[in-house]
Amino acid sequence: MDKAYSRGRILIMLGVILALIVVDHLNSPTFAFNSGQGNVQTALTQRDESACAPCGAPCPSTRN
Amino acid sequence: MSESAVLQAGMKPSAWIVDRFVVLTALAGLGVLGGLIWLETAPFMVALFAIGTVLGMALYHGAFGFTAGWRNLVLKKRGAGMRAQLMLFALSSLIMVPMLYSGQAGLVGAVAPVGTSLVVGSFMFGIGMQLGGGCGSGTLFTVGAGNIRMVVTLVFFIAGAVLGSIHLPWWLDQPGFDPVPLVNTFGVSGAIIVQLLALGLIARWVNRVERKAHGTIERNELLWKGQEHGVLRTLISGRWPFTWAILILAAGNALTLGIGGSPWSVTFAFNVWGAKALEAVGVNMSQFEFWQWDYPAMALKDSLLTNIPSVMNFGLLLGAMLAAGLANRFNEASRNRPQRRPLLAAVVGGLLLGYGARLGFGCNIGALFSGISSASLHAWIWFACAFAGSFVGIRLRPWFRLPE
Repeated sequence: MDKAYSRGRILIMLGVILALIVVDHLNSPTFAFNSGQGNVQTALTQRDESACAPCGAPCPSTRN
Repeated sequence: MSESAVLQAGMKPSAWIVDRFVVLTALAGLGVLGGLIWLETAPFMVALFAIGTVLGMALYHGAFGFTAGWRNLVLKKRGAGMRAQLMLFALSSLIMVPMLYSGQAGLVGAVAPVGTSLVVGSFMFGIGMQLGGGCGSGTLFTVGAGNIRMVVTLVFFIAGAVLGSIHLPWWLDQPGFDPVPLVNTFGVSGAIIVQLLALGLIARWVNRVERKAHGTIERNELLWKGQEHGVLRTLISGRWPFTWAILILAAGNALTLGIGGSPWSVTFAFNVWGAKALEAVGVNMSQFEFWQWDYPAMALKDSLLTNIPSVMNFGLLLGAMLAAGLANRFNEASRNRPQRRPLLAAVVGGLLLGYGARLGFGCNIGALFSGISSASLHAWIWFACAFAGSFVGIRLRPWFRLPE
């Protein structure tokens, strides 16, 4: 049976996604920190315990 | 039924064909991305990536779709999918509510405010589920399995999520009140009992609907019954009984909480992906209030590899791809060129899903599954409103020429 997809397109798609992830990472504070740059705040150690919702939204009472 | 039993009956089990290209590509993707996460972040992120991968496989092999389960109940009056979801919520409540309220530092539940934003958002999300063809996790695992129409849904899901993030502060200014953790009112045991009672009542209603329409309740999908192949082959190549998926999904969410500090969520990552894309073309996202709040601001600024929902979503996509390759069904749903109206439904549905998820504080995973697992009142309101929206979406499907 014929394949329902093109191998080339899949490899290109995944390659593009991987490239975007890598470019994003190379421009990030985490990469700077890993490269020896100090005084960089990275998201890895951040906790969101003070927020009112998982997306970081404040509470309605705070807004009032 | 075991393979030997089938052979004894004089039948030949179908040959097991694996799509080697898809399997090897998915494994290579998992290896490269996993290695990058290992090198650049921390071991716990690799663990979350692996959990995301297993969850993707479970969603695919278990065919665990919230959307189809709700639609089957409304249209076909069949409740197996819905009962599976209720069982999942009950099991997760039993595991995760005590975990969250054990007093261990650093664990945050999926609790959220109750108000206009939640009601409107979850209702819109419900419509979007039926038009877009999946919820947050459903969209991801079908995209991972190569469904082209769902890629369209995902792109507009992301667009809708970013638009929702820009509008969310306005919606939060409308009537509403702070989160209501049921544990504050009933205590840990009381909250679990109240939730189990509520889930039991819904299950009873589902059973009544099914029995009224068909005379009996179909429970085959919940049990190991009538499987074409043996346990090992079914485990690797599907299709799993719902109970297997329930166990994996419940364990996966509990592990995510234990390792990552908060329950499983999917759609926040879509916000970050969309916002990063807009920033890449010159839009300053930090001018919008949502992106000034601590958590979104930090997620936008830092690498995707440090964002837990993103890392788990990458795992989920590749896990579903791997599962589809093992089942030799990659891209199977996209053999025919998509028609215009179903594509329009994917666009409209995707936008509603994204916008609704942001206003409703998540999707079926982040708001409903993780919300009930955190004993938060908002999850129950989300459930009711999304189901009502889903009902409307089901009625709209024929116009978009979407199959039942």
